[in-house]
Amino acid sequence: MSSSTSISGFTQISISYSSSSTHYIFARAHISSKKSTSSWPSGRTLFLVNVPPDATERDIILLLKPYGTVEKVIFDSDSPIQGEEDGANSDSEAEEVEEQEEVQHDNDDIDATQPRKRRKLTTKKLEPPKVFPLPSIPLRKLRKTGQTAHVIFLDTSSVDRFFSASHAKPRPWPSSSEEPSGLSHYLALYDSLRPPLDAVRQHANSAMDLYEFELAKSKRESKYKKGEAIVDEDGFTLVTRGGAYGRTVGGGVAVATKKFQETGETSERNKKPKKEKTSFYAFQKAEKQRDELIQLKKNWELDKAKVEKLKASRKFKPY
Amino acid sequence: MVWLCQISFSFTSMTAERKRKREESLSSRKLKKLPPAIENDDISAQDTYESSDMQEDEWSNAESDNGEDADWGGISYEAEKSVRSGKRSTKPTGEEIRAIKDATDLFRSNTFKLQIDVLLPNIQPKTKRKPPLERFLLSLYTFLSGLSDVPPKHPLEAARNLLKEGVSVPFPTPLPTEETQWKVAFASPSDITVVGSWANKTSVKGQGRSSFGVDLAVEMPSSLFQEKDYLNGRFFHKKAFYLATIAAAIANPNSGLNVDVSYISTNDDPRLTKLILEPKADGSSTDFTKLNARINIIPTISPTESPIPLHRLSPAHANMRITPESASASSSFSDKQIKDSSNLPSPMYNNALLTSFVPKSYLLSVHAIQQIAPGFKDALALIRVWANQRGYGESGGQAAGISVRGFDGKGPWWAALLMYLILGEEPTSAGGKFGVHGKRKPLGKGLSSYQLFRAALDFLANHDFENEPVFVKAEGGHRYTPDEYSSNHDMVFVDSSSTVNLLAGVPTGSMKLLGNDARRTLETLDDSSTDPFPEVFLVDHRDLQTRFDVVINVDLSKAKSRKSNFHQTLDLGSASNAILSSVSSVLTQALGNRVQAIGILHPTPSTRPLSQAHPLTSHIIHIGLIYNPLHAWRQVDHGPNPASGPDPVSVKKFRDFWGDKAELRRFKDGSIVESVVWDVKTVDEKTLIPRRIVAFVLERHFGIGEEAVRGWQEGFDRMLRLPESVSRYYVGADGAGVGVGFKAALGAFDSVVKAIKALSADEGNALPLSVMNISPTSESLRYTSVFSPVPLPDSIASVLPANARYLNPTEFVIEFERSSRWPDDLKAIQKVKLAFLEKLARDLMGTVKGLRATVIAGDVEGMDESEIRDVARLEVITEEGWAFVGRIWHDREAVLLDRVINDTASTLPHVAHKDKSQRQGRNYHSAIQAREAYTRLYLHAPMHHRAIAKLCHHFPAFAGTVRIAKRWFAAHWLLGGTDGAGYVSEEAVELLCAMFFVKRGWEAEVDRGDEDKDVRGVEQMVVPGSKERGFALLIQFLKDWKWDVRGEGILVPLYGSSTVPNSKQPKAVAASISTGVWKIRTAMDEEGGIWTMFGPDAIVARRVRALAQATWKCLKEMETSASSEKGVVLSIFDHPTDDYDVIIDLDRALLPRYHQNVSLTASQLLQIPRRKQFSNDDELAAASSREIRPGFDPAMLVCRDLKRIYQDTFRIFHDCFGGDRFGIVWDPSLKQPRPFRVLGGFSFSAESQDKQVTGKVDKGSKRDMVVLNEQGVLGELERLGRGIVSGITIHAR
Repeated sequence: MSSSTSISGFTQISISYSSSSTHYIFARAHISSKKSTSSWPSGRTLFLVNVPPDATERDIILLLKPYGTVEKVIFDSDSPIQGEEDGANSDSEAEEVEEQEEVQHDNDDIDATQPRKRRKLTTKKLEPPKVFPLPSIPLRKLRKTGQTAHVIFLDTSSVDRFFSASHAKPRPWPSSSEEPSGLSHYLALYDSLRPPLDAVRQHANSAMDLYEFELAKSKRESKYKKGEAIVDEDGFTLVTRGGAYGRTVGGGVAVATKKFQETGETSERNKKPKKEKTSFYAFQKAEKQRDELIQLKKNWELDKAKVEKLKASRKFKPY
Repeated sequence: MVWLCQISFSFTSMTAERKRKREESLSSRKLKKLPPAIENDDISAQDTYESSDMQEDEWSNAESDNGEDADWGGISYEAEKSVRSGKRSTKPTGEEIRAIKDATDLFRSNTFKLQIDVLLPNIQPKTKRKPPLERFLLSLYTFLSGLSDVPPKHPLEAARNLLKEGVSVPFPTPLPTEETQWKVAFASPSDITVVGSWANKTSVKGQGRSSFGVDLAVEMPSSLFQEKDYLNGRFFHKKAFYLATIAAAIANPNSGLNVDVSYISTNDDPRLTKLILEPKADGSSTDFTKLNARINIIPTISPTESPIPLHRLSPAHANMRITPESASASSSFSDKQIKDSSNLPSPMYNNALLTSFVPKSYLLSVHAIQQIAPGFKDALALIRVWANQRGYGESGGQAAGISVRGFDGKGPWWAALLMYLILGEEPTSAGGKFGVHGKRKPLGKGLSSYQLFRAALDFLANHDFENEPVFVKAEGGHRYTPDEYSSNHDMVFVDSSSTVNLLAGVPTGSMKLLGNDARRTLETLDDSSTDPFPEVFLVDHRDLQTRFDVVINVDLSKAKSRKSNFHQTLDLGSASNAILSSVSSVLTQALGNRVQAIGILHPTPSTRPLSQAHPLTSHIIHIGLIYNPLHAWRQVDHGPNPASGPDPVSVKKFRDFWGDKAELRRFKDGSIVESVVWDVKTVDEKTLIPRRIVAFVLERHFGIGEEAVRGWQEGFDRMLRLPESVSRYYVGADGAGVGVGFKAALGAFDSVVKAIKALSADEGNALPLSVMNISPTSESLRYTSVFSPVPLPDSIASVLPANARYLNPTEFVIEFERSSRWPDDLKAIQKVKLAFLEKLARDLMGTVKGLRATVIAGDVEGMDESEIRDVARLEVITEEGWAFVGRIWHDREAVLLDRVINDTASTLPHVAHKDKSQRQGRNYHSAIQAREAYTRLYLHAPMHHRAIAKLCHHFPAFAGTVRIAKRWFAAHWLLGGTDGAGYVSEEAVELLCAMFFVKRGWEAEVDRGDEDKDVRGVEQMVVPGSKERGFALLIQFLKDWKWDVRGEGILVPLYGSSTVPNSKQPKAVAASISTGVWKIRTAMDEEGGIWTMFGPDAIVARRVRALAQATWKCLKEMETSASSEKGVVLSIFDHPTDDYDVIIDLDRALLPRYHQNVSLTASQLLQIPRRKQFSNDDELAAASSREIRPGFDPAMLVCRDLKRIYQDTFRIFHDCFGGDRFGIVWDPSLKQPRPFRVLGGFSFSAESQDKQVTGKVDKGSKRDMVVLNEQGVLGELERLGRGIVSGITIHAR
């Protein structure tokens, strides 16, 4: 952190977009927090804040090239859970991304930005049917501005090199030409949304195959069989509402109503209001009548107050 | 007053009852030791909060004494006493109950009564300011009584004498000449009385700054007149001289009366000139400036003593007997005309003369009725306030506003109207001949002011003034025969003295307008959902644009009647009155049943100095029409049939009226009749027919050229049309052209529907499920898209410039039959949808020639992360060049999504609830979003579409209103659907506009109207008849809409009684993503957020209000402004860009929708592509490629992306119709430095170095401060919009 500007422990990297505008990325070495078991190698991971919204993995690799080879870039907004964290905690909860990212890499090397990736949980044991993805061309993914990213270098020395270098002097943003931007981006996007029909069919069919495969698998693995009762740890048998014929997974019995199942409330049939004669005795009638009159007066006073209020706001001058 | 007795009776018996009961309960309590609360249960159940305080003091008294068991009687007595005294405040007395009952029974509601009570003092003169006026009137009385006589003189000589004092005598035409034989004289008045509303204390403040009028009837001595004075205006000349003499005397500085004197002529009729005395503020004891009153001196004549025989003044008498010799000097009329005129009756002249007889009798009759009908005074005040708010009365001077013609000085009429309702009518001999109702029964004398007011409105709304003359009950019976009135006046309303026709000189159109207003007010009063009081009495309804379907501005300065009528001029008193009167009758004849009412509006007369004898009338009049939607746009007017009826006169008349326009035509039914045909080329032009008729007849009958007749419709129409340079390709060179417009779009859609349905029926290669329903959801299929839809066939696409080549995709929803074969998994459902669409696309291309179909497998943002989002769509481009986009509706999705949202996804929902934190996961969020989209797209959109389409069918002006409104929102960079780049969705605009057309039960009404044309169907409903009026109403509403105060929004009864389907979605959905502040509720959407969920938010909504206010100002000034028609309308749609921090210019050559731009000129459109230098090959390809991309609008895509990326940094605005600029406003909170945060959500840079150092020293602030990096963001914008953005302008603050 020699000559570079730093702020709250972050090193400021200046990037010039054009002669007049400069963007700032803030970088810090990644520190894995105690709470979360972050899988990022702490020694060689760089944490970037305020990444440009249209940055691609390639862009960042190009930017950091002088300091070493980048193994991987993870944009945090792509992680499944958008935790609202602050400071050092921000880099947790993203293991899944990594795995998925790897799966994805099998198909396509460069597409961290691939918009229409159908991810399926891969199961190791039985060989699942392979999903044919829809054809895609590399496209920029435009994320919300002010996002964070993690960069994993191949070796630890790169991080040291990075921090020892000076970042005061603005460097140009290495906008890669692989993914188009601007008008061309939109044209490409428009066309890529309309894949050939054959590809659509292939994709849909293979996806359905996978779905059925997994359905079958989950059925096989299910603890509960049709007609068998569900018994929890304490030994209580759960009584659930059955299907049309009283037999579903989990040994349903036609007991609990649908409503009970959904809301947990029993029917209101028992809550009949108590019937009471309100105008049986003469005094009751009299009381009622008196109350009505009092109510009348009260309403009158309320109306009066309302009008007074309007009057106070000088609303009654027609012109 | 039977009810009163009942009330008071029950009241007394109740007191006794209560006493007994309390004693009982006290004693019983002692015995049973029951807690009081239980005993009192039944009471408190009825009204908890009411009885609670009552209970309190009752029981607290009792309780405190309860411990002692001693003297029960004493305690109960005491308790009783204190209770009673405590009660007195809450329990109403008989008096109060009576007042309350009065208010609820005799008025609309308590509040209404109270509001009336508050209103009345505001419009009546203040009593404490009256004494100076009384002192002044006293001195004026002495002054006038002591005026010295002027001996008889020749009128002209007398006038010359007065002119020396600077007073000219307001002699009406025909002016006295040198040959005149009679003489004018002055003698001090025989009687001076305060008459009219002031004397009866029924004065009502007028509109604007006009003051209370104190009418002073100065009775001219009968000795000044002779029997023949009723002839040739002699009476008026004598009266004019009398008035001028008084004027000269008062104006004389030696008079001792420190007042300004001026003339004013009621209705600009010089015969009805009176003197106005206005106080000068000098602080003396007679200075009544603060009262805001002025004294009108009206010369009158005693009906009993005057030598003028009243029987000579009946409406049928001809009293203008001008010989050609005497008139030739002053007029250009031919002798023959003048000779003819001497035998014609002069009803208006007679009527004007009669008005000089009646003021005193009015005073007495109004006083009398005030004695017998207690509600009269207030009712009169109410009806006059109501009328003033609608422009029936004085407008308060030239500058203050304009009034409906004919109601100036009609004070006696309003009183007579109520009198008529209370007393009933004078039976006419002809009895049932007039009117179907026969004799009108008098209303009771004990009616409250509100009931009388309502009765008056009801009468105005339903009475047919043209055919049913009205005679107020008169003491002496009829003076003249009723037939005489009916045959000489358009409308007859004879006063209580049975002499004056109070409606003489009121155009029939004005009366119909009054009826129309009354009808609308009755509707307001009947609607129980809102408080009608402000609407009825407090809101100014004089705005022309919201009141009339079309407003036409006419300059009459060059008007010259084709058949100038000498007699009419004499009868009406002045040439300008004669012109106006004939304009009114000509328009009425020309428009016939096309209109419900014609209003002629102009400022009411203002005072003029004494040196000016005759009133100056304004030349500008406004003609307002209220259409009858059934007939307004009729293209052919039928006239008489020359063959069948031997009635050459009517044929001649018809030909004479229409001139060249009249032609003999043969019609389909075989008849050959005279007719007038108005040719139209487009549907837009049809709405111009009434306006064209007005222009035509004004030209034909009054020689008023096109330049003097102004309207604004064309300007609005132009906003909804494509430029000529584009539309000509559609019309085609040979006239064949391509099918365009809503009809063609619907036709193309139907054929696609048919093709899809045919596929599902196809035996061999059928779809797995058959198609149940295909519902359109696009605005171009419900007549409400701003531009009428056009296809883009290859032939046209190849010739159009790149920036005019936009094809709008039309959306629809496909519903398959229900089936259990759908997978029970959200992700899988999306895949099945893809498969279905793929099959549809493939088969459609196979069966329909020239059709292209693809599957869109993702949404436009390219941000499709979640797999449960419903993005798959079918895109179809037909051979004719129409584009359609369809989605599949699968109702199981809702259930599955709700499971995710409510977290009942597992089979056993109540076994294990996940904890909160996990619920907020990504799955949950995407489910929420998907559920919202599902509800909107599949439940509400088709329903909304059907309802709006129905509205368009029934209300011809509705579609136009919506289109104009959408254009307005778009032009101000706000329009954009829920998934678009804008803030106000199209559907929200449609709902807002629908508000002015629908009311509760409209569906039933229009359905009945369909079956039975002649009942009160659409015709009678008070709805805007033109899009301009609808638009003005919308703007008026938007400028005042307090969406932030009430919070509950508005209710649009769009859906009538149709059953409510289960369209509910989990509450969480709306709550979690809604940002809009507008709440537009319908029967189907009780939350009111479906179409306003994504905006406008508070900031944008405030902006809408500000824009509406500016537009409203523009609309109001439109009538008076001098600029051209086109310019005025354009300025409404001209968006001010000064408020934006940054303006981003876009490359016009690359905007496919640029041809829809508001301020486009044809030359720009065609030139730009040529001179454009393309920066790279891609863009060139994009710009020039001949491939048609439906819905591809890069500007919108960029805007949408920017809106999403920088949602916490700035707000971006854009006109979706070919706007060539973005406007950006930074989030003001980002201007302040804030502490460094990792997830700041905006692009920042560190604050300057030195500050940072101090920041570090300061222990309090742990974090370093950062600021928004504006330059950096702009750099990113440039990169994101590369190729489209052509320049960025920063507005310095």
